[in-house]
Amino acid sequence: MSATTKARRDTPPEEATAKAPPPVTERSSVAEKRDPGKAPPAATTPFLLDFFPLEGPDQTRLARFFERLKEGLLCTTRCPRCGALHWPPRVACPACHAEDLEWIDLPSTGRIYAFSAVLAGAPLGMESDVPFAVGLVDLDGVPLRIFGRIDGRPWKELDIGSAVRVEPLPLADGRVFYRFRTVD
Amino acid sequence: MSAVRRVAIVAGATTPFGVRPTTWSEMAQEIGAALFRAEPELRSEDVDSLFVGAAEPERFAFQSHVAPLAAEQMGLTPHRILQRTELACASGQSAIRSAYAAIAAGLSDVAVAVGIEKMNLPSMAEANTSMGCVMDRAWDGPHGATAPPFFAMVAQRHMREYGTTEEQLAAVSVKNHRFANTNPHAQFYSKTFDRAKLARLPVVAPPLRLGDCSSMTDGAAAVVLAAEDRAYRYTDSPAWIRGTGQYSDFHNLAHAGPLTDWKGLTHAAREALGRAGLTIQDIDVAEIHDCFSISEIVEYEAFGWCPRGEGGKFVLDGRSDVGGDVVVNPRGGLLGCGHPLGATGIAQSVEIFQQLSHQVPPSRQAPDPRYGLVHNLSGSANVHSIMIYEGGRAS
Repeated sequence: MSATTKARRDTPPEEATAKAPPPVTERSSVAEKRDPGKAPPAATTPFLLDFFPLEGPDQTRLARFFERLKEGLLCTTRCPRCGALHWPPRVACPACHAEDLEWIDLPSTGRIYAFSAVLAGAPLGMESDVPFAVGLVDLDGVPLRIFGRIDGRPWKELDIGSAVRVEPLPLADGRVFYRFRTVD
Repeated sequence: MSAVRRVAIVAGATTPFGVRPTTWSEMAQEIGAALFRAEPELRSEDVDSLFVGAAEPERFAFQSHVAPLAAEQMGLTPHRILQRTELACASGQSAIRSAYAAIAAGLSDVAVAVGIEKMNLPSMAEANTSMGCVMDRAWDGPHGATAPPFFAMVAQRHMREYGTTEEQLAAVSVKNHRFANTNPHAQFYSKTFDRAKLARLPVVAPPLRLGDCSSMTDGAAAVVLAAEDRAYRYTDSPAWIRGTGQYSDFHNLAHAGPLTDWKGLTHAAREALGRAGLTIQDIDVAEIHDCFSISEIVEYEAFGWCPRGEGGKFVLDGRSDVGGDVVVNPRGGLLGCGHPLGATGIAQSVEIFQQLSHQVPPSRQAPDPRYGLVHNLSGSANVHSIMIYEGGRAS
């Protein structure tokens, strides 16, 4: 594990928001109407209504998760003392409370245990994604069932048991998250 | 007698529920006025403690430190315990449970538990964002996790595993909306729904249609709780708290386990019924958390009113209606009344108080009820909170 990794995101969010649309569409449209000379610093804009976590090493001790995700892999923590496998990754084991946890890569494939779709009532920044599918996915070979967005085939063509794989989702400001995508 | 004092609800009131042209603070004033109007014997100086159930005033009303604000708006000067309780959809019941604990322990004699929520904002997307924060925001939230898709997955699994049908889901909504037509405070008091009308409503999160989902609602409710030596100052028919239970075993959706088996509810019910010395068959009237139609079906099963997988048949056969095994959600439920998060659990308790003292319209009155139950889930059914009341003179 690399808790001391100094890797930083390529573009800090304060700079990135100026050239790339932030995920929060309503707020950006308000900002466009402002006199640029009097606009508040962009750093005040993104976070509070943005669901995506702050993921840099200066903001979370789980930065390793996001670094590995940029390499295309989903990982999590495991407790070397009691063997518990965690999701989401943690800094302390909920089973034995050890704090010196190890990182392990997770399988990139799984099958849908349950799914639905958001056809209305999406949060800010997700309205233009509607309709979108979400589901609980049993990862292959590990006892983890993870919730996530399911891209690829439309929701009407999904079924319980459908195969999906993990896919990194690059965000406009340099951050990254994950989604599932259907496997044909 | 044990050191724990008996505690009862002795008065209660609710404001109208709905999409209302009013603010959080105005509703606090309104429920204060309604409570003192409902109980003329109550004086402000009687109330030594105030517990304020409010789920997301920071998001919906841009206001924190709401307990003293509510006290001021309601015309109360609490001098023993003043606090806010937050447990998302169960914030109101948390206020009652906290007041109960304080009075039972002798730290309070007369307390008010109030629930207030302002949810309708100019931007519905912003309100939906607030609802998303109830989930594990950093890990489930970015995918678009809000309540409707989660409970839709519960419905999908229940249909797959047990053959539950859309007709059975609709039967919950039809029943609760019919009860809501007897409740002038309900959001859908004047709207009637039958099976055909529900089937024409749009799908929100398949298989759930709009009529399977409770609404974004503005509203407030309050109860007065009193120690045993004070209760009869206010009423001849207190609703005595006989038992309470609560259980939580996960938050991130990865740990929800089998979606159709709400073990946390079963644990909380066992705790509450055990404290009351009752079985679920003793309950005559119940206000349970129908945030979605499927919720009520899974709850019938987890409480043990029917075997696993038979909740759909239970409602379709009328066994949760007046004249059935137990009258469920006679107030109109969350489906018919709307769901102002902090107010819901308190409004449900007002209904049980009024049911046990025969103060509701005959069309929704349970026949001579002795025991009533209130259940709230919160979040993704990851917390279950239950209270059991007995009408009249407690043994």
